[in-house]
Order: sequence, then C-alpha cells, then structure tokens
Amino acid sequence: MRRRQFLAAACAASAGLAPGPGRAEDAWVMPPRMERPDVATDEGGLWALMDREEAKLRRSPFAIRDAELRSYVQEIICRLAGDHCPDVRVYLVRNRYFNANMAPNGMMQVWSGLMLRVDNEAQLAAVLGHEIGHYLQRHSIDTFRDARSRSAFGVFLGMFGVIGLVGQLASVAGAFANSRGNELQADRIGLSLMSKAGYDPAEAAKVWENLLLEAKANPAGDPTKNSPMFATHPPMADRKDTLAQLAAALPRGVTNEKTWQEKTAPYRREWLNEEVKRGQFEESIALLSRLMQRSPEQPDFVCARADVYRMRSSDTDLNAALADYQAAIALGGEPPEAHRGMGMIYRQRDQPAETKKSFTRYLQLAPEAPDSAMIKNYLEELGA
Amino acid sequence: MCTAALSHTGFAHAESLNLAPGFETLPKGAKVVIMPTDIELFSLTAGGVQEPKADWTEAASRYFRAALIAREKALGLTATELNKDDADELSDVNFLHAAVAQSIALHHFGPSNLRLPTKDGKLDWSLGESVASIKQKTGADYAVFSWVRDSYTSSERAMAMFALALVGVGVHGGSQVGYASLVDLNSGRILWFNKLARASGDLREPEKAKETVKALLEKFPVAK
Amino acid sequence: MITITNLKRIAIAAILIALTGCVSVTKVDSGDRAVGERLQLHLDGAWNQINAPSVVGPNCQSWTMEGLTVDQILVYSGLKNDEPIHYQAGGSSEKKVFKFHSNMQPEQIVALYEGMLTRDGSTFTLKKLEPAMFGGVKGFHFEYTLVRKTDNVQISGTGSGAVSKGELFAIVYQAPQLVFYPRHQARVAHIIQSARLKA
Repeated sequence: MRRRQFLAAACAASAGLAPGPGRAEDAWVMPPRMERPDVATDEGGLWALMDREEAKLRRSPFAIRDAELRSYVQEIICRLAGDHCPDVRVYLVRNRYFNANMAPNGMMQVWSGLMLRVDNEAQLAAVLGHEIGHYLQRHSIDTFRDARSRSAFGVFLGMFGVIGLVGQLASVAGAFANSRGNELQADRIGLSLMSKAGYDPAEAAKVWENLLLEAKANPAGDPTKNSPMFATHPPMADRKDTLAQLAAALPRGVTNEKTWQEKTAPYRREWLNEEVKRGQFEESIALLSRLMQRSPEQPDFVCARADVYRMRSSDTDLNAALADYQAAIALGGEPPEAHRGMGMIYRQRDQPAETKKSFTRYLQLAPEAPDSAMIKNYLEELGA
Repeated sequence: MCTAALSHTGFAHAESLNLAPGFETLPKGAKVVIMPTDIELFSLTAGGVQEPKADWTEAASRYFRAALIAREKALGLTATELNKDDADELSDVNFLHAAVAQSIALHHFGPSNLRLPTKDGKLDWSLGESVASIKQKTGADYAVFSWVRDSYTSSERAMAMFALALVGVGVHGGSQVGYASLVDLNSGRILWFNKLARASGDLREPEKAKETVKALLEKFPVAK
Repeated sequence: MITITNLKRIAIAAILIALTGCVSVTKVDSGDRAVGERLQLHLDGAWNQINAPSVVGPNCQSWTMEGLTVDQILVYSGLKNDEPIHYQAGGSSEKKVFKFHSNMQPEQIVALYEGMLTRDGSTFTLKKLEPAMFGGVKGFHFEYTLVRKTDNVQISGTGSGAVSKGELFAIVYQAPQLVFYPRHQARVAHIIQSARLKA
C-alpha cells in the first residue's frame, strides 16, 4: 500500500515536471486515509503541535462560529476530499486578508478576506482543493523537515496560526514555500478534485486573475504583504497561466455562484466594511469595481466603493462617492449607510437641503443605528 | 528627571510581595483546579529576534503540566484539570487572567519605578465574579494559573555573544520568564503570585521541567 | 498614548524604558486636577499616572488603575492640529500615523481611534455615537467594543470629548468587558462629567 502511494506520488511528481495537457492527473490515485502518526516521530510531533494550534483557534474570539455557514463550507470540502472527509475540520476566521490553509492534522482555516473575494463555490473549491492536495501528499512534512533543519520552525507554524502579523511572513517567504514540484502537484490534484466534484476547473485560474487585478492597482504595494498565501506560493501570474493550461484538458462543470452568494449574503456587509477599513484605497477600488461588474444588481458593492472614495477624499473623490451612493440607491435595497455617506458629503459642502434629505432617509432606514443620536443632532442644527 | 532604577526593591518584604494582604496559607486537602498553562518557547537569533519554537513548546507543555500536577499533589492538595470542552468554554477567563497577570508582573514584580501607587505595594488584584464559571464547572475553591515564556540562545547567537564578549560587550543570552498564580474562586482575588525571571532552566526535558515548576511554585502557600 | 498593540512588545519596551529610568508612575490624587492649560477635572478616588515623556506626548496623559495591560484612561488636553493621537516608538516601521485635524467631525475622530486600535488586527465595533457636552462645550460621546488581537481579550471602551479653538480635549477609557470595565466605569463617568474647559 505504501509502495503504491509512493509510486502514485512519484508519477504525479515526475509528470508535474513537464506541464501540458494531462494524462498525469488520471494516474494520480487518492491515498488512503491517514493514521495518526506515532508521537515519537517528527510527523507525530507536528500533529501534536497542530492540535495545540487548533485548540487556540477553537477558543479564539476571531473564529466565525456560525453553524450554517460552517457546515456549508464543510460540505464543499467533503465533496472535494472524498474518503478523507471525516478527517478534515474547517474553521472560518474573521480576517480581512485572503488566505486558506490546511495543517497536516486535518485542520483547515479559511479567512473572511478570501470568502469576500471568491465569486462562487468553484473558486473556493479551487483554493481548498489545492490545500487538500498538499495535505494528501503530506507536503507540509517536507516543508517542516526543511524548516526544522533551518531551525526557524516557529515561523512555519505562524502560517497555520490565527495570530501573526501578515507582514512578518513576507520576509520569510522563500524559506517556507513548498518546492516547485510540490506546488504543481497540489495544483494538479486540486483541479482533479474540483473536476471530480463537478466544479468547473476553469474557475481556478480566475481566482489568481482576480487577485492580480487587485495587486496591480497598487503599483507601490507589495502583494506579499497582503497575505501569507502570496508570500509562500509561486507568483500569481505564473499560477494563473499554469492553472488555465491544466484546466483546458478537463471537462467543464458548475460554479454554483448563486448558492455561494446566498449563503454568504448575511456576512457581505460586515466583510465589505472590514475591507474598506483596510485603508488600501487603490486595491479596494479595484476589488469593488470588479465585484460591481460581476454583480451589477448588488448595491452593497457600489456603496462600499463610495465609502472608499469618501475616505480617500482627494480632488475628484467626493463627486465619485456621491455618484456611487446615488447609483446604489437607484438599485434599491441599498445599505442605510449610503444615505449617511451622502449626508456627510453634503454637510461638508454646506448644502443643507440635500443634507437634510439624506440624513432623514438614513434615520428612517436605520432608526437604531449606533450614531443615530449624532445624525439627529446634525438635523436639528439645520433646523429640520 | 531620568535616573537609573535598576534594582528590584522588595526583597526585604519577599513574603508580602507574593501574598495578598490577609492571606497566608491554603488549607491542606484544598481542592485546586490547574488551568491550562500558556507556554511558548523561543529561540533567540543572532540579531536578538525571538523566533517561536513550536516543537520545543509542544514537549515543554506536556512536561510542565505533568510536573505541575505532581507538585500540587505533593503539597497535599487535591489537584484536578479541565477537560477539553470546559477549557474551551473558560477561555475568556483564561485570556482575562493572562492580561491581569502581565500587569502584576510588570507593576508589582517589575522595576520599582513602575509600581502603581494606588496598590500601595500590596498584591491587590481581583478577577471578581469572572471566576464563578470555573468554580461552577469544577467545584474547586482555588485555581492555579501559569504562564511561561522561555528563550534559548541559538548557536549563531552563542557565537556572536562569544565574539562580543571578547571585546568586552555583554549580550543577553536567553531567559526564562514565567508566573504562577493562585486565585480564590469564591472572591476572584489573586491570593498568591510568583514570577520567575532567570537566565537558566530548560523546559525541553522532563527533569528540567520539574525543576522549573519547583522554582515557580517556590513558597506556594500551603499549611505545613 | 501607550496603546497595547502587542503585549509582549509593550512589556519588553516598558522594561527597557524603565531601565533607562525615564518612566515613573505617580499618584493622581482625589480632588481637583488641572490637565494642561485649559482642562479642569475632579477625581473621586485616586488613579495612577504613567509618566514617560519620551513616549507619551505632552498633550496626552495616560492613567491606569490595574495596569497597562488591563485598563487605561487617556486624557487629551489641547491636542493640536496634525498631532498624532498615539505615540510612535522611535525607529518604528509604522507607516500609518493617526493624526488629529482641527476640522474633524466627531465621526472622523472616532474613525481615527478605530484605525489606531485596529492596526494590529483587532476588531472594533461602534456601539454608540451621540452629541454630548464636554467641559461645558458642545462635543461628543462614543462607546465601542474591541476584540484585542494580541491576547484575545474582549474590551469595552468609552470616549468623551470636544474640539475647542481647534484643539482636542477628550477622555477615552477602555478595559476588559468582563469585570474590569464595569468596576471603574462609574468613577470614569464622574471624571468626564466633572470636566471644565477654560475659554
């Protein structure tokens, strides 16, 4: 059994060295479920400390404990992981950056910044499938052994932890990336799992295409500072190309965009607010513009972009913000904050009639808002 | 007015430093719950940066816990631990205690110029009714919390230290910082607190972990 | 302001600062107290003031009852245009500085605090923002909760202040939601109510 596993891995790895339309994916066989290794082995030691990290995650106030959302994501993972489903445990985390990670003990983390950015189940499946690929092939053991021998193991652990400054990880990127061969293998396996689960493999490249768009919007910025994922994986452009190429040979499938949008809808405004508060104006505008284009009927994205313009408030920004707020309102179902945002701009510009109109509407839509007393006060000042 | 304040005062009143006013000893056979230890081990790189060492921490965690329970039992106390579910549910109290303990370590056991005048030199901190949930879950009357941060000099640093020592510059080699506290689960008062700050000690092996626990629980207030 | 963005860092930094002898803690006695040139307060019970001239700016005082990692009151008296609301450690790699501007509206001042408090990944939720008198001048009052990234403690906070002659006068208090915030809340409310601003 071990030998077959080894051969399967070797085949996939060697095939991985020559990218091209893949017979190699068909040769890959899912390894059997893993037994918990002996604590005395280094693999066993790694599991044990991952269990500790998992306990921290379980107790963290940053974990999203919503049972419905969690079981929905768990189902997607199960479809991908097949027989390994019982060994994978998903944790959703409140964190505004794009990241997902799977530890050798079966613990999978997904950050809210990622859930905001993926358009559909297929794109989520692409990322999670890739991580499951690393897990199935035990790549982190290789990285762990390598890191250990470099005696900088603790930073490796930081990749799996909830706590950790993202910026720090950028500086150790090279040391903890999987080998090129392992990365390619995980991409191939990820696509294979996606495909077998019925998802459209063409969506995998789109994930990176979308992230590239955001990264390019900030020419001065360093994408590796935006996510541990960027710091430890091959450059986004390369991945996008590789994945597109590999996907070309696989059958089409579903994306389940509608279901994904429905299931994440309760969190949309919260995640958008977190994104806006990042204060990375160019990146946020690029992201939000893309989301607006994708979902033109959704006022939340337009309103969020308006908020970013208003925050940046350079010469033309306030006009751009007003235009976006108005567009959001025209769509209907707009967040009450759209009216507040407009009111703030009109107030700044000393336009009392418009200010009154906007703030009044805001209070109508959100009478219990935390700042309702302050807004009422602004209205009273105007003699409303 | 900036004058150096390097000495730790208070050794003359060592006992009142560790004990809350009016408290002396735990009754023998008192039921004590051992809260999960917060422990991290680090390696100091040549540049003096602390890198967490998760594999060391994992081992140390196990040895420390075993040594702590054994020691409490040896002191004649009924020591219990929390199960995983209870530990999860009580994590808020654990986090709160850690924040308070850091302040005690800083403002009561730290340099004299950081003392808080309103505390009047006394160990006078209480977690109030936040500990009621611990009592509820365990039936214990007291809880022991502990926290350890241990850093070791990596070989690069040892080399750098040696080189600098040759030219007469002293460099910090590594240290062990920890605390243990005893909390009354009826009032929330911190009855006893000890801080460990020393340059030696090794938690990576069971015997050495026992020794660290012994140092941390030195003068743990039990009726003789 | 000594903001707890990293417990370990503050503990180490505090120890380093203390060792150079430039920090002291003095008692803020019960009774009347002048802070800066224009702010007058009345205290009902003593507090502890952290004096660290190289760390905390001249127009901001930092007080605590139980310790820096537990509770903190920040008292701003005459913070000027372009002055930061927090301290910046020397040689820090911080790119973002949170500066007060005289033309800021209350919601912008709150956003400034939010930005400062969340730069380490902590999450901030505004609970209330309302107009309020402060020191006899029209100002604002806000309440918030914070989940602190470094140690996972859930924090409650409150602030009251006003901008007078282009300068910020404010009192911001925060402490763990569990036990500590309620413990000192009434006394803090008294300090805020007692505030008087000289013209």
